[in-house]
Amino acid sequence: MTTPSASNEQRAINDEPIVSFAAIERSFFGVKVLKGVSFEVGAGRVVGLVGENGAGKSTLMNLLGGVLQPDAGQLRANGRPYAPKNPNDARAVGIAFVHQELNLFPNLSIAENLFLTDFPLIGGGAPWIDRSALLARATALLHQVGLVHGPETLVERLPPGERQLVEIAKALGADARVIILDEPTTSLSSRECERLFALMRQLRERGIAMIYISHALGDVLRICDDLVVLRDGERVGGGEAKEFTHDRLVSLMVGRQLNQLYPERRASRQVGSDQAAKQAPEKSAAPRLAVRSLSQPGIVRDISFDLAAGEVLGISGLLGAGRSELARILFGLDPCVSGEVRLEGRRLDGGPRRRIERGLAFLTEDRRQEGLCMEASIADNIALVTLSAHGRTPARWLDFTGIKSAVSRMREAVRLSPKATDAQAVRTLSGGNQQKVVLGKWLLAEPKVLILDEPTRGIDVGAKFEIYQLIHQLADRGAGVLVISSEIEELIGICDRILVMRQGEITGEFRCDEFDREKILGAALHSSRA
Amino acid sequence: MTRASAITIDGRRIANRIVGSEFFVLCLCGVAFTVFAPFTPGFASPENLGNILVGCLPLLLLATGQTLVLITGGIDLSVTASVGLSSVVGALVMGGDAGWLRGSPAAMPVAIVAMLATGAFVGFFNGACIAWLRMPAFMVTLTTTMFFSGFAIWLAKQVVNAESIYNLPAAFLALGHRAWLAALLAVLATVFAHLLLARTLLGRWLYAVGHNPRTSFISGVPVAGVTVGAYVLSGMFAAMASILLTARLETGSPNHGKALLLDVIGAAVIGGTSLFGGKGKVLWTVYGVLFLSLLGNGLNLLNLSDFLITIIKGGVILVAALLDVWRTKLVRGS
Amino acid sequence: MSAPNSKPFLRLLDFAPVALFAAVLLVFGLMSDKFLTVANLLQVLVQASSTAVVATGMTFVLLTAGVDLSVGAIMFVGAGLAGKMALGGQPLPLCLLVMLGVGLLGGAVNALLVTRLKLVAFIATLATLYIGRGTGRWITQTRAMNLPDSFLALGSAKWLGVPLPLWIAGAVILVAQLVLTHTPFGRQLYALGNNAEAAKKAGLRTTRLLASVYILSGLCAGIGGILALSQLGSVSPKFGELYEFDAITAAVLGGTSLFGGRGKVFPGTVLGAVLLKSIFNGLVIVQADPYLYPLITSAIIFLAVLIDGLRCRLIDRMERRKVFGS
Repeated sequence: MTTPSASNEQRAINDEPIVSFAAIERSFFGVKVLKGVSFEVGAGRVVGLVGENGAGKSTLMNLLGGVLQPDAGQLRANGRPYAPKNPNDARAVGIAFVHQELNLFPNLSIAENLFLTDFPLIGGGAPWIDRSALLARATALLHQVGLVHGPETLVERLPPGERQLVEIAKALGADARVIILDEPTTSLSSRECERLFALMRQLRERGIAMIYISHALGDVLRICDDLVVLRDGERVGGGEAKEFTHDRLVSLMVGRQLNQLYPERRASRQVGSDQAAKQAPEKSAAPRLAVRSLSQPGIVRDISFDLAAGEVLGISGLLGAGRSELARILFGLDPCVSGEVRLEGRRLDGGPRRRIERGLAFLTEDRRQEGLCMEASIADNIALVTLSAHGRTPARWLDFTGIKSAVSRMREAVRLSPKATDAQAVRTLSGGNQQKVVLGKWLLAEPKVLILDEPTRGIDVGAKFEIYQLIHQLADRGAGVLVISSEIEELIGICDRILVMRQGEITGEFRCDEFDREKILGAALHSSRA
Repeated sequence: MTRASAITIDGRRIANRIVGSEFFVLCLCGVAFTVFAPFTPGFASPENLGNILVGCLPLLLLATGQTLVLITGGIDLSVTASVGLSSVVGALVMGGDAGWLRGSPAAMPVAIVAMLATGAFVGFFNGACIAWLRMPAFMVTLTTTMFFSGFAIWLAKQVVNAESIYNLPAAFLALGHRAWLAALLAVLATVFAHLLLARTLLGRWLYAVGHNPRTSFISGVPVAGVTVGAYVLSGMFAAMASILLTARLETGSPNHGKALLLDVIGAAVIGGTSLFGGKGKVLWTVYGVLFLSLLGNGLNLLNLSDFLITIIKGGVILVAALLDVWRTKLVRGS
Repeated sequence: MSAPNSKPFLRLLDFAPVALFAAVLLVFGLMSDKFLTVANLLQVLVQASSTAVVATGMTFVLLTAGVDLSVGAIMFVGAGLAGKMALGGQPLPLCLLVMLGVGLLGGAVNALLVTRLKLVAFIATLATLYIGRGTGRWITQTRAMNLPDSFLALGSAKWLGVPLPLWIAGAVILVAQLVLTHTPFGRQLYALGNNAEAAKKAGLRTTRLLASVYILSGLCAGIGGILALSQLGSVSPKFGELYEFDAITAAVLGGTSLFGGRGKVFPGTVLGAVLLKSIFNGLVIVQADPYLYPLITSAIIFLAVLIDGLRCRLIDRMERRKVFGS
């Protein structure tokens, strides 16, 4: 990729960086989380900030946003020392944030969201909103980011990708000179990502600087001009993005040579999934899971597939292709009008409770809302699914020692951070450890079929590897595993077979000897069976 | 570091430990007792303390039932209506003048079963609307309060043409006269609720539903059933409170317990149960009930006017809530 | 499959509160020819005026996901104080000003408790409810006071043929409606109620916003107290009791969510208040058994809440994302 010449000119004209960090330090409760970090962001540059969870990225951005103050070191903005005390100070110097959890208000219109803190008012000092000015200005901003919706559309009617664009429009409306994008692509389809990147390139042409934070390293390498790598609060690398490769970034981030991103798959993989079924410890004629002509109007169409014992089956496809919806139907969360699902030959019916008893497990896409009780303890979360095994009828006494030993066994199995105590609230854990808690909760039930929806989203490289290992271990014990993921590399790395979905239908099937990124992507974009 | 500052830091640490501990509200009870005892004639007499303990039993039962509902993240404003309706129903079954089973030896047991069933029914109705029709708990129980207490009055009027029903059987009134009997009943019920919450599967499920109903549902918790169960239990605890009140006041009346609603929620919340669900214990509620009762009794004995008592009660709720904010901060900080 | 024919059905459900309201009017109108007369309907509106004003203040609080249980107590304190002063020979305008002052003060106390001391609104206003009730009883010495006729004259005065209370209530509702829809403050309240955390991050002055809704609610309680006094002409120890529940009910009947961020003063809350009062008025006119009042009233409210719940679930189901067009 070449840096557009316009931004080079911009740099030449205005060499002064827009924002600079010099030897920034910050501690929490006596623990240093930033140890003298320095870097600068020039006009019209996209700076990628990468590092594992806990490396200090969010602390650094909170300092920039005025949420926190540094213990030592200096921030400069627009060539002047900059010591923000609150988010309004940051706004005043033209720093805007586009957060991972969008800060839009779905109950308000796009226009109201754009100008929430400075509505255009009718002249004369009266606090009345000037509707026509509001709509005109909002329309102009929406035009800049390429959104076609009317400014009075309620935000709750927009898909996630378009909400992201509204956030950027908001930053532009506030005359931002630096926009910080924190994991902006986690809930975007790949088409929406492309749209976002195109917009980012346009903004770069206009001299707007951006700080791009993401775990998706491929995107980082593609869109960024400069990179800064953080590890344990220190800057361990940086420079122009073209000097970096994916592997070099990863080894800088984790601090050691990471030979592989995906664990070695057992030998059976080479033979193919049918062989895997035969080699599985538990032999049974029927597949673990058999799905036949599953249909629900507007959601999925005529879905049929088998999942063998010991198989790791991936489901690829764009966001919105019906993958998560399929998983929800399989687990009994959403209805379907026709078709059937059989587990070991017996028909599955009822809600989650009945299906869990039959041996189904489902790690959902939304960890916070559907996977965990955030305020409850680690132990309570891990034990939640299997509680009824420790007390069959609702009134029966629970066997607390049994629960405790099961929890500690599972903590070890999923390698949960040993620093965390059983009674600690899950809220206090990092994303990776939270996901391990969810996984532990389901593994404790020893499922026959485990469905995982985006199991590694927003999780750092080290924890990802461990989660892959756990998936393989479960398959080796004879379970069938269904993995839904937007990252094709991930599916290629861990699966025995990959199904591709598009518009609610299965449009492609690939065995492990046919895995090919381009072909899979092709099937996701347009039907390859035809 | 100077000696003085070391001491203040130590003092603060001790204060923090007391405020942060589970027994904090019990300590408050101790404080209330020591404050009242010297100034209030007759406060510390065994007779008065006995009165306090017996007097707080209906509140204890109501607040315990409420705790179960609050833990699931709901609220049950209809408990006082359950008390009134159960009282009328029970009295109509066994009452001396027009009772359905008047004079029969089966009158009392049947009446008690009918009262419990009434409470359970009101609870079931609430729970069904909240769990299956997904209506907000606050509005459901607010309207059922209006409806069932109106219904209780209407029922009494229809049958005996008066709001109060007298001449209850002596065997039933014994529950009111023999304090130990009432105490036994209430304590057994409270211990039952405590064990239920702390030791059983249903107890864990109540907390899980309060923490996050979606996660719980996906994890195989029968969320709707658990929710309905919480409201049914709350209704049955209200019926038990109604039994005690009806026996003590020797009348069946739709107005029993009407003044208790805010005390019920206040006791649970002062004890430390959260209005947002997932947090609470029966033992905490017991402390909250004790505290409110000590306070009410002490203020009464001080011969304060009714309005001053009301003001002080409001102030105490405030202080308790403030201390709770402080307590949460401490727990989070550590 | 059901999408095309449930769209009009959905639109119909949108009008459910209005439909319910119309049905109630119709039933009472059929039962008594005295109900659907201009004079009586005007009477209903006058009766609803104080509840509507208090419920308007409550709507502001509910929009921020809070609640104000103390409005009835604030009305009582103000009325008690004003009554004492009126009986002591003070001029009427001063008495009314004092009621407004008490409302502002009570609201300010709530605001302080919720924003500075970070108490949960339910508990904070529960406490001020107790304190207010106690203070009111202390002021009135728990006795009923019959006020000078000037108060009642206020209630029956007319301007352009419309009773004065309606003018006052109308003005309050109009201002509230304009503030909510046409000022930055109003729109920011919706944002705050939707997501307090995000509102803070977005740079809204959440403390100030939150404080002002409690003060506004207190002020509305003061005005509502004046309107109630002008109709009753006396202060009993039960003055203002359960107004908090009436106000919340009116707001919720009008579609305001208890969880914040959703609701309208007009027509929503106002309609709710008028519905509540017309049920009461109608029951009186058709000479229903007074013991049935609470039963019928609560059944209608229950129905309204039920319909609203069903509507939300239906909208939810219909807006679930479609993967492909069917």
